[in-house]
Amino acid sequence: MVFGILQFPGSCDERDALAACERVADARLIWHEETDLDGVDAVVVPGGFSYGDYLRAGAIARFAPAMEAVARFATEGGPVLGICNGFQVLCEAGLLPGALLPNEALRFHFRQAGLEVAGGCDWTAGIDPGERLSIPTKHMSGRFFAPDDELDRLEANGQVVLRYASGSNPNGSLRDIAGVANEAGNVMGLMPHPEHAVDALTGSTDGLRLFAAVASRSPAAA
Amino acid sequence: MVELEAASADDLPDLCEKLLANPLIEDYEILELSA
Repeated sequence: MVFGILQFPGSCDERDALAACERVADARLIWHEETDLDGVDAVVVPGGFSYGDYLRAGAIARFAPAMEAVARFATEGGPVLGICNGFQVLCEAGLLPGALLPNEALRFHFRQAGLEVAGGCDWTAGIDPGERLSIPTKHMSGRFFAPDDELDRLEANGQVVLRYASGSNPNGSLRDIAGVANEAGNVMGLMPHPEHAVDALTGSTDGLRLFAAVASRSPAAA
Repeated sequence: MVELEAASADDLPDLCEKLLANPLIEDYEILELSA
């Protein structure tokens, strides 16, 4: 089982994502110019400021050669996780629904967040709906937006995977949405940073459960 | 505002929809400037 972690110019959380994945499987970085994922079993699109976030967060990264490979990988059912800027990239690429707007307060936000698991996908396998997770958030543009009818559809399909716990929505996300999945359940995006919650020393190991969920479901782990 | 030169104004809506704007969250308007 090998995780591939994308690295764009401007990424800044790829090393933590690599370290998190290495706790449960093998992992390697994938430079944005690579066009072949070279046999990785799961992909993480990490946080940061890909290509300087010019135009909009994620708008340029979606055209990276590596993202073309990720799109093919996702279409074939490969598990893909977008964290923060990675979530923005996946939305811009059309691999996930919705968009991320600037925080309601128009300020960068950094806080440990209480989250409630609202639905299931490959990355939350084994975590029951209703369970609470504690994972840090840090972002400037994390306000999840989709039209009302799209939100209704996401909720009806169980594609809303994570919500901010009551009273802890840090950015004004509609319906307290912190993470969503695609219809097939193999692609997930979230604004909180699970790669920063993998060691008790930093307050929580809840984030590790997402990486472990995919590692345990990989054919290579069987 | 984004100023750019294009061979044909016909290319601009596609350029706006695919890169310069995210139509889900942004409106755009194309104004042609004479040389």
